[in-house]
Formats: sequence, C-alpha cells, structure tokens
Amino acid sequence: MASAAIPRRRVRIDLAIATVVGLLIVVLGFGATVSDRFATTANLLTVAEQAAALGFVAIGQTLAVLVGGIDLSVGAMVTAANVFVASFVHGSDVLMIPGLVAVLVLGAAIGLVNGIVTVRTGVHPLIVTLGTASILNGLVLLYTLQPTGKVPAWFEDFAYDTAFGLPIAGLVFLIAAAIVALVLARTGFGRAVYAVGGNYEAARLAGLPAERVTLMVYAASGFFAALAGAYYVSRTGTGDPRVGDPMTLASITPVVVGGTQLGGGKGGILGTVLGVLLISLVNNLLNYMNVSTFIQWVVQGLIIITAVSLFVNRGKRL
Amino acid sequence: MTTITEPVSVTSPTDLARRIALPAVLVVLIGIATALQPSFMSGSNIQDILTQAAPLGMVVLGQTLVILVRGLDLSVASLMATVAVLATAFNATSNAMIPVIFVAAMVLSAMVGLASGLLITRRNVSPFLATLAMMIVLQGLRFAYTHGAPAGSLPPGFRTLGTGQFFGIPIDLCAFALLFGVLGLMMHRSALGRQIYIVGGNPRAADLVGIRSDRITILCYVLSSMLAGLGGLFLVGYVGTVDNFVGRGYELDSIIAAVVGGVALSGGRGTLAGAVTGALILVVMFNIVIILGLPIQAQLVIRGTIIIAAAALFARNARGA
Repeated sequence: MASAAIPRRRVRIDLAIATVVGLLIVVLGFGATVSDRFATTANLLTVAEQAAALGFVAIGQTLAVLVGGIDLSVGAMVTAANVFVASFVHGSDVLMIPGLVAVLVLGAAIGLVNGIVTVRTGVHPLIVTLGTASILNGLVLLYTLQPTGKVPAWFEDFAYDTAFGLPIAGLVFLIAAAIVALVLARTGFGRAVYAVGGNYEAARLAGLPAERVTLMVYAASGFFAALAGAYYVSRTGTGDPRVGDPMTLASITPVVVGGTQLGGGKGGILGTVLGVLLISLVNNLLNYMNVSTFIQWVVQGLIIITAVSLFVNRGKRL
Repeated sequence: MTTITEPVSVTSPTDLARRIALPAVLVVLIGIATALQPSFMSGSNIQDILTQAAPLGMVVLGQTLVILVRGLDLSVASLMATVAVLATAFNATSNAMIPVIFVAAMVLSAMVGLASGLLITRRNVSPFLATLAMMIVLQGLRFAYTHGAPAGSLPPGFRTLGTGQFFGIPIDLCAFALLFGVLGLMMHRSALGRQIYIVGGNPRAADLVGIRSDRITILCYVLSSMLAGLGGLFLVGYVGTVDNFVGRGYELDSIIAAVVGGVALSGGRGTLAGAVTGALILVVMFNIVIILGLPIQAQLVIRGTIIIAAAALFARNARGA
C-alpha cells in the first residue's frame, strides 16, 4: 500500500496544483478582457495585501487538515485576538509590542488546548474546535457587542505600507508560508505531520511523537489565527467582535482547492497559497464585474464542490 | 462497529448506566430550573418551551439519521432559512396556499438532500464539505433573491401552525411527536432502520450482505433535509416574521443535541430518543441561563462547554470518532 501510494500521491499533488495554476491564468486572462483595471500591478498588489488575513488563517488550517484534523475555531480566534489587541493596547504606544506578543502567545496557547483536548479525550477535532469557537465567541460578546479599543496610528499604517514596492502584509504572508513549507518538506517534524495525518496509529507505533505533533499543529493554527486577528487591528484600527465570523469557512476553501485532502496526510502549503490567491482574485474580479457578495458566496460554494469532486479522496474521510 | 447485530439493545452495564444517566441529567436540570424559579414547572411555561423546542427537535431527528450513517449535515440551518424565504415568495394571503407552500418546501428540501447525498456517495466527498458547500450555496442564493431583506408575506394560518394548539397541545409539538413516532418505528421496527444501523456500523459489511449502503445514505440526507425544511416552516410560524437567518445556529445545536444524547459521530450508535433527550437538555439549560438573568451570550459559552464535555464523556477510546 505504502509503496503504491507514494508515486500516486506525487501525481495527485501536481494535478491539483497544475489545475489551480491553470485556473489562476484563466481568471487573470478573463479579468484582463473584462476590466482594464483588473490586471494592473496596482490592483494585483491590493489583492496580495487583502489576501494576507485569509492566507495566515489558511496556513494554520492546512496544518490542522494535514495532520488529519480540522480547526473550526479559527474564526472565533481571529475575533478574540482582534478584540484583545485593540482593547489591551487601547492606543498606547508602549503596550503595542507587548500586546502583539501576548496575543500570539495566547493564540498558540488556546490552539494548544484544542490539541490537548483532542488528543487526551479522543473527541473529534471538529467537535472540540466548534466548542472552543462557541466559548471564545461567547466570551468576546460578553465583553463587548460593539467595536472597541484602538491602536497607535503608526500600527494602522503598517497594514497598508509597502516594502520594496510590495505590500508588507502580503510579504509577511509569503514568508510565513515559505517557512512552514520548508518545515514540512525538510524537517523531521514535517515528515511526522504527514505520517501522523496518514495513519495516526501507525505513526505512533513507529515511534513518532504523534501526540506532540498534533498538539504543535493546533498550537500553530491558533498562532496563525491570532496573527490574522492582529493584522485586522492594523487594517481597521479597532477590535470588532464580528470580524472573524466568515473566516472559519473561508479558510477551508483554499486548503481544499489547493489539493490538501480532508482526512490528512496529503497536500501542502504551496497548494494553499495558490488557493488563497485564486479565491482572492476571483472575489476581486467579481467585485470589478459588480457581482453581489451574495453571488460570490454561491461561487465559493460551487468552487468547493468542484474542487472536492475533482480530487476524489478514496481514502479516509473526515 | 462492535454491536452492529444488536444496535439498540442494552449490551453492558456501562450502556445501561448511560441510558439512565441521560434522563437523570434532564430531571436534575428541570429540578434546578424549578428550584430557581417555581413557575418553570407551570403548564404555560412548559407549553412555551416545548413549542420553541419542537422545530429544533425536527432538525435533531434528521441530524441523528445522517450521523448514524457516519455523516453530518451542516446545511440544515441554511435550508431552514431558505425554506422560510421560499414560503414568503408566494406572497400568499389565503390559507389555501399553505399546502402548496409545504409541498414546494419539501420538494426543494428533498432536492438539497439528494444533492448532498449524491456528492457524498457518488463522488466520495466528505459529508462535512458537501453539506458545507450546500450551506454556502443556499445562503448565497437566498441573499441574492431577497437582496438582503425578505419582503413577501405569509398566509395568516402559518402563525397558527407555529403557536396554535390542538386540544391544549401545541400544534408544532403534535407534528413533532408524529414524526418522532413514525421515524422511531422506522428505526426500530423496520428492516430499513436496521439497515441504517448496519450501514453506519460498517458500510463495507453492509455492501457485502447486499444492502445498498449508497441508497440508504442518500435517503438519510434526503430525510434530514426534509425534516430541516419542516422545522424551518414551523419555526417561521412560531417567530411570525421571515429574515435571512431563520434557524441560525440550529446546525450546531442539532449536532450538540445528538452528541449529548449519546449518538456517536463515528456512526452506527445512538437512538432518536437519546438525541431528543439531548435536545431537551439543551433547551432546559438555555432556559436556566434566562432564568438566572445571564446575558444571552452566556449561552454560547455554555454551548461550547457542553459539547466538548458531552463528547469527551461518550468518547470510548483514545482516538474516538
């Protein structure tokens, strides 16, 4: 089984990535004919900047899915981190950096709790993270129903700033993605993620620290969701108790579109990055075509259906 | 997987303890609620609670069926709202239109369930993704149709369906009881019910003994969608107005109710009665939040805690579902 699976897996990943790349080219070409302003450097850079938040969350989600789980608490985590940073810092210059550090640590810690509950109780991560999401959302809404808090002006600039002519947020996303991709491809931890996602019991029996790998993956997912929350503070300058609501479901689409299979063990970050770019470009293009947000939802649903129907998963299911 | 031959019988002392534990928890909660506020046990309050709980109960019945065949239906809440919008689309003022609305709603629901079921069985899409995609598509179509704000009107009789009484019993509760009875008979007294348990317990074995597990699975999704559609219609009748989010949160609540009621997410284990008890536990807990004067957001925290706690309680082995 293992010897037969390896070559087939390579072909599958390439197929998924090739499809997404093809679709990206189609969308760019189609967009260029529909609107003069779509295929311009300025617009594409804007897309890269706006893709960052989804990108951060999707990196974490990819890890959770790779290890055979899923993280449905990311949206609530984005919200909680967003409100936490804005309320904690409250416009203070001095507290800004400590606030950022604290929120990333807290995000990782809450993710770690997800992992611990999943591993120790054997409850499906779907249920655990849904529960965490409900608790986080409840706590945030108990704290505030309105946007609250603020951050220093220099931090607000950060979201829209550029470095070397490229948006900083997009750069941070690409660097983070590159680091995670390298870790997955080149380290023992990365190989363990695939092994645990492929077959938890087998990985454990082979002496891999399956529990620890799972814990670290959920911690990473929490970390990246918190990063997205912090980034939203920079964009909007305030803490919005609703900001993360759409992020949970939105984060799953690029992962699946990029060829990472629910159930674990197959896929990778490159596909997710391409998936994020594709989703962001499609939404941007639909905006240019004056297609309503509502139809954009329909399109997103159809993309999921198409993606998952194309790359049929004959193995495990979530 | 271990008990596919006798899915509903008591097999061990632990099972027995579990079966007693659930109603016991419910009784204790009712006791707490009554102690906090004696009027909780008054006839009118109980009627209110059950009237509100009936639509959720219908959704829970369907959710249980799909969980039993190793699935999950995340589209139920979105479907409830879509059915509600469909009901107003007729802009009917006469009660004679009510049967038409029901038939249209059931046809739409059945088609949605069929689509989910086909994606899951024929294309091997995970139930989570298939129903998630269905949820998003329905939501988009609904908003695109209503442009964000539903406008049409409902026949006056709808309100009676949601709030009226039949010999002192809420009408929606009667409808729920009827559905519960019929489905209960189906699950425990018919070959179809046994096949559902076998497919959920071990789909490959089901195929080997000649059960068309694909068809059984599709049927469960169709039933789940139709029950959600019915729940949506009765809920609209209860609320009296239609917005784009009728039934919001019911997908999560119905899953929680099933899990609390001992329905295993790994499939093949659990009963409708258990899930309905789970739903009642949930409803009574939400009522206690209100009695205590806690902000409504506290319900979210409680929901999250209950679902993790209940799932952990029922997790049988280290890796569970």
